[in-house]
Amino acid sequence: MRRGELALYAIGAVAAAALASSAFLLWNRGTPIGTAIIAALPPSLLLGVIGLASRHLCRAMPLASASRASIAAAAGGSAVAASGLWVLTWRSWAAMLPQPIVPDFTLLFGLGILLYLGTVAMQYLVLEVDASREAEAAALRYRVLAREAELRAFKAQVDPHFLFNSLNAVASLCGTRPLDAREMAQHLADFFRLILRLGAQERITLAEEIDLVKRYLAIEKVRFGDRLDIRIAVDDAAAECSVPPLLLQPLVENAVRHGVASVVEGGTIDIHATLRDGMLRILIENPADPDRVTQRGEGIGLQNARGRLQTVSEGRAALRADEAEGRFRVEIELPR
Amino acid sequence: MIRTIIVDDEPPARALLREYLAADDEIELVAECANGFEAVKAVAEHDPDLLLLDIQMPKLDGFEVLELVDGSPVVVFVTAHDEYALRAFEVHALDYLLKPFSEERLRVVLERVKRQLGQARTPLAGLAASLRAKPLQRIALRKEDGSIQVIPVARVDYIEADDDAVLIVAAGAKLRKQQTLGDLSRELEPDRFVRIHRSYVLNIERIEKVELYAKDSRVAILRDGTRLPVSRSGYARLKELL
Repeated sequence: MRRGELALYAIGAVAAAALASSAFLLWNRGTPIGTAIIAALPPSLLLGVIGLASRHLCRAMPLASASRASIAAAAGGSAVAASGLWVLTWRSWAAMLPQPIVPDFTLLFGLGILLYLGTVAMQYLVLEVDASREAEAAALRYRVLAREAELRAFKAQVDPHFLFNSLNAVASLCGTRPLDAREMAQHLADFFRLILRLGAQERITLAEEIDLVKRYLAIEKVRFGDRLDIRIAVDDAAAECSVPPLLLQPLVENAVRHGVASVVEGGTIDIHATLRDGMLRILIENPADPDRVTQRGEGIGLQNARGRLQTVSEGRAALRADEAEGRFRVEIELPR
Repeated sequence: MIRTIIVDDEPPARALLREYLAADDEIELVAECANGFEAVKAVAEHDPDLLLLDIQMPKLDGFEVLELVDGSPVVVFVTAHDEYALRAFEVHALDYLLKPFSEERLRVVLERVKRQLGQARTPLAGLAASLRAKPLQRIALRKEDGSIQVIPVARVDYIEADDDAVLIVAAGAKLRKQQTLGDLSRELEPDRFVRIHRSYVLNIERIEKVELYAKDSRVAILRDGTRLPVSRSGYARLKELL
């Protein structure tokens, strides 16, 4: 139903209730029913319109956030004012009728107050029903989005070529540096075990995520050698923050795959995390060749991370990415 | 002896090939390269018989290397990406090693290489063009002084035919590349580069306006004021895109 239509119905309902009850009062005191209805019609319509205005009061003072006392005071005050207006209309209209009638104004005043308070109660009811319906829809939307984001994230989690290239490196080390080969195999096993364990959890600490990232980078370091440098700085307070699992890992993987790997001389991946004013800020920065051939999949990692942040924080987190002068930066802001 | 060059940006991957190749008496390793630039230089210097070539490398990938080198070494791709390997396999002239590969697999490939060394071979540049992903994202070329330049296609203003070569005009600079305009334009993104004339391919993002010049002949005026002739069929192609 449209808003205008709804307002008309509300005016009609209140006016009808006012008409019926006040006409009944008059008839009870001996006025013929026809005269009583004609007499009650204009003031009742006016009360219907005034009653509609109570909507603004209900909007301004939602049940959930405004205090009981202030709602009671506002509703009571406006009820007295509305009922005063209604009684005044009654008086002047009653005097204008061909057969003047003298209703019981005290009784009408009480009736006006009751009718107005009834309208307020009705408005609150409508608002509550609307709000709960909206909340339900939003919750459903978030659940669907969260599910999709999770699925995408896990599918895209680790590039299989990372495994192939790493195993090739292990094969290489076996010949000349068997101890390093053992270590690399161990790193790989730890990394994949950690991915499985952390991925199954709802939230992990940033310290755990950084640990995963370090293991990943340790493997890449063997492959890239001097071309890859790593600098990680995480505040103690930031390390304790909880984050969705595997949020940073794909971003760091991008930093290697599309970043350092695209530059002949390589460079440093900077990871920086701080907690300030209840806001966790994570910065990932890496060199990237502005003229690189963009590969399939570039951008998907960012998209997934953004989607997951949205769902876990219900829209309060932010992810910004920009590229300038050969540096690629991703900045995440997540409320604690 | 089979003069061989290894090209891979990962040191352990080079070490593995070096170790495996050392077991074959016929192989003589003449150079190891960590990127495409080094590879182009090394091939010019050593004129090898065999090139073991990684594909995904910074700045200049394996396909671009093949396009820029002279001579006709046998090329074996060494990659973890089987989608490239499959493309290489389709054209038969090349072979591939899928990382991680066994020593046994390398032996089989080397046998095939030795058989092929006795036969006539396809020049590399054409083969590289047929293998490369399209549309082209950047154009690699070798300048007269031997240095290599890579131009992202987004920076190209227009391309002019110059006998059997092309002049690539980007930000005022003209660079010559040994390729016909027809071959190059077929590799470019068709929604962005239009053959406006027998001798010109234009990046449509650079157009300011097109004016009637004489009956049936038009001229395209670029943002920087350059005027290029537009033929009748060129104008039809241009109109379709704009």
